[in-house]
Amino acid sequence: MNNLFEALRNPGSVAVVGASPDRRKIGNAVLENLVRYGYSGRIYPVNPSCNEIFGLRCFPSLDGIDQAVDVAVIALPAEKSVEVLDQCVRNSSKFVIMVAGGFSELGEEGRKLEAQVRARINGTGTRVIGPNTVGVLFPHSALNTALTPNDRIYYPGKGSVAFISQSGALGLLVMDSITEFGMGVSGFVNIGNRVDVTEVEVLSMFMHDPNTRSIVLYLESISDGAAFFSKAREASLTKPVVLLKTGRSEESSRAASFHTGAMATDDRVLDGVLRQAGVIRAYDEVELLDYGRALAYQPPPSGDRIAVITTAGGVGVVTTDLLTTSHDGIRLRMASFSSEEKDELKKYALPIASVNNPIDLTADGSSEAYAAILNVLVESDNVDGIIAYALPQTPKIGVDIVDPLKVASRKKTLVAGVIGNRLSKSLLVELEKAGIPAYPSIGRATNAMKALYCYGVYRRRLLDGN
Amino acid sequence: MEFIGGGFWMETDSNRQDMVMLVEHEAKEILHEEGIPVPCGMEISELPHEIRLRFPVALKVSDSRILHKSDVGGVRLNLGQKDLETEFQKMKEKFPGSSFLIEEMLPRGIEFIIGVVRDGTFGHVIMLGAGGIYTELYHDVAFRKIPISLADAGEMLEEIKSNRFCTGFRGMRINCAALKQMLVSVSNLVSKGKHGIETMDLNPVIVTSEDALVADAKMSVRAGKSGP
Repeated sequence: MNNLFEALRNPGSVAVVGASPDRRKIGNAVLENLVRYGYSGRIYPVNPSCNEIFGLRCFPSLDGIDQAVDVAVIALPAEKSVEVLDQCVRNSSKFVIMVAGGFSELGEEGRKLEAQVRARINGTGTRVIGPNTVGVLFPHSALNTALTPNDRIYYPGKGSVAFISQSGALGLLVMDSITEFGMGVSGFVNIGNRVDVTEVEVLSMFMHDPNTRSIVLYLESISDGAAFFSKAREASLTKPVVLLKTGRSEESSRAASFHTGAMATDDRVLDGVLRQAGVIRAYDEVELLDYGRALAYQPPPSGDRIAVITTAGGVGVVTTDLLTTSHDGIRLRMASFSSEEKDELKKYALPIASVNNPIDLTADGSSEAYAAILNVLVESDNVDGIIAYALPQTPKIGVDIVDPLKVASRKKTLVAGVIGNRLSKSLLVELEKAGIPAYPSIGRATNAMKALYCYGVYRRRLLDGN
Repeated sequence: MEFIGGGFWMETDSNRQDMVMLVEHEAKEILHEEGIPVPCGMEISELPHEIRLRFPVALKVSDSRILHKSDVGGVRLNLGQKDLETEFQKMKEKFPGSSFLIEEMLPRGIEFIIGVVRDGTFGHVIMLGAGGIYTELYHDVAFRKIPISLADAGEMLEEIKSNRFCTGFRGMRINCAALKQMLVSVSNLVSKGKHGIETMDLNPVIVTSEDALVADAKMSVRAGKSGP
C-alpha cells in the first residue's frame, strides 16, 4: 500500500484535466502552481480545445497519453469529473485528484454522484482523492496541485510536518500563515469528501514517509473510528500525531436511563480515546501547527522539570505561572538547581541577576552568557526541558543567540520564545531555519513545551506495550 | 414496555427496541462470572426461613421496569433480621408481582462509577468517574476505548479528582489497584462479546482500603444474546 502512495508523494508524471489558458479557470491555477513550484516530472495538460498551455503540449484526452500517469488532477465541474474517471481508469492512472465541489456536501444528488465515483473505480488500480479538494502539496518532490494562485497565498517549502486537512480553504490559509516565519511542510493532503482515500491511509502514508517527523490533522469527522484509533496509535510510536477535531458526530443511541450514556459527550469520549492512542489534541489551527512543529523539531523531555532563561523578568514570571498552573490538566514543574549549579550559573550573570529558576539575566544578558548558561542546563540532572527566550530589547542580544540555542537544542529538549516585531521577526525566522521550535508569545511557547511533555508521557506508555 | 419472558423486560420508551435491560441480580451474576467482586446476595420472591447472609443486609426491588429503584422507595439499607421481615412485607405490598434482592451491606468507602456505552465513532467505551450522586454533579469522568490496559486504567484514575484518595486524603485511603483491576475486568468482559453487553452503569462501586465492590449494577444487552 505504501509503495502505491509513493506515486502520490513523489509522482513521475502529472496530468491536469481541464488545464486552461484562461486565468479565471481552476485548471489554469492548478497547472500554473504545478509549473511554478518547480515540478520536474512529466506534465500533461489535457484540454481538447488547446494545443499548448504554458509552453506544454496539450492533449485532447487522457487516452492520447502513452503512459499511465501517477497523478491526474481533474479540474472540471462535478458531473464532467465523474465522466473523466473512465479515462483515468483506461489510462491506469494511480491517483485521481477530484477538485470539483458539488457532491455529497450539497445533498442527495451529490451523494448519487459519489456513488458513481466509487462504482467507476471499483476493482481498478485507480485511487481517488476528494472530491471537493483543493489538492495536495509535496515540497520534497516540488509537487503543488493546489487550486489557489500564488498571488493570493504563499505555499510553504520543504519541512518535516505533514498536514492532513478535511477542509481545503482552512488548509490553504494555514499553510499561508506558517510561511510567515519560514516554516515548511513535508506534505499537505486535503482529503475533501474522501469517497475513496481516507485520513487513515494518508496518515499511514506519512507514517512511512522519511521526510515526515510529525503529523497534524484537521478533521470535522472521523470516517472509521476503530481504524483511525489503531493507525494513530501505531503512528504515535514513531511520529507524533496532533489532531484538531471539530464538529459533533451523529448522536449514537445512548440510553438516557444510564448515567454513563448521559456523561458520554463526543468531546469527553474523544479526549480519552486520543490520550489512549497517544495523540496530542489541539483546539485551534494555531495550536495544531505549533504542536506539530515542536514535536517535529524536538524530542519530548524526559520529565516535567523545566528551566526558563530570559532577559526580561516579567516574561519569566508569566512563563512560570503558565507552566505550573493547569487549565488543561497539564502542569509542569520549575526545575530546582543544586547549589553547585547555582554557583556555576552566577559566574555568567550580574550580581543583580537571578539564577533561581527562571534565570533572569536582565539587560546585561548576552549571547555568550546564554551559551554558558545553556551549557550548565543541558548538563544538569535537575532539568528535563528548557524554555529559552530570545528577546531583542537589550543591546547584547542579536541573531547570534540562535547558535547557542541550536547547540543546546541538540542535547536537551528546547523551545524558544520571542516577543516583539522590529527585530523579533528576523529572530523567529533564524530560529526556524536552525530547526528550533520558536513561538511569538509566552503562551504559545509554554503550550508547545506541554505538548512535548504529553507526547513523552503517552509514548512511554505505548512503548511499554500498552 | 413489554414482558418477553425469561425475566426480561423489553424497554419500549427511552431505550432502543433491540436492547434488553437485565435486572440487577442478573447483571451482577455476569460480573461475578468475570471475577468482578459483588456483594453476596440472593434473589427472592418470598422471604426464606433461613438466610445465609451476614447481617445487616440491603433489600432492593428487582424489576427491570424500575430503573431508579431508590427514587420509587425500592431500596432499604442496613436491615437487621427483624427489620428485614417488616420491610419485606411493606415492599411486597408496594411492588406486587416483583422480585427482590437481599444483599450483604458493604463497608463504607469512596464511591465511584464505572460505565460502558457504545460511542457512534469509536464503539464501546469505558468510563470511570466519581460515583453516587456526584457523577452528574461534577462531570468528573474519564473515558477510554475498550479494550483498555492496566496502564490505561491508571491514567483514567489520574484524570479524575477522586484519585487523591489513592495516596490518602483526609484520613481516607483506598485500594486503587483493586479499582484499576476492576476497570480492566469490565473492559475484558465487554470485549469478549459473550453476553452482548451494550451499556452498563456500575454505580456506585465502593472502594475501601481493602477492595473494590460493585454495590449496584445496571446493564442492557442486545436482544437475542441476553442472559447470564
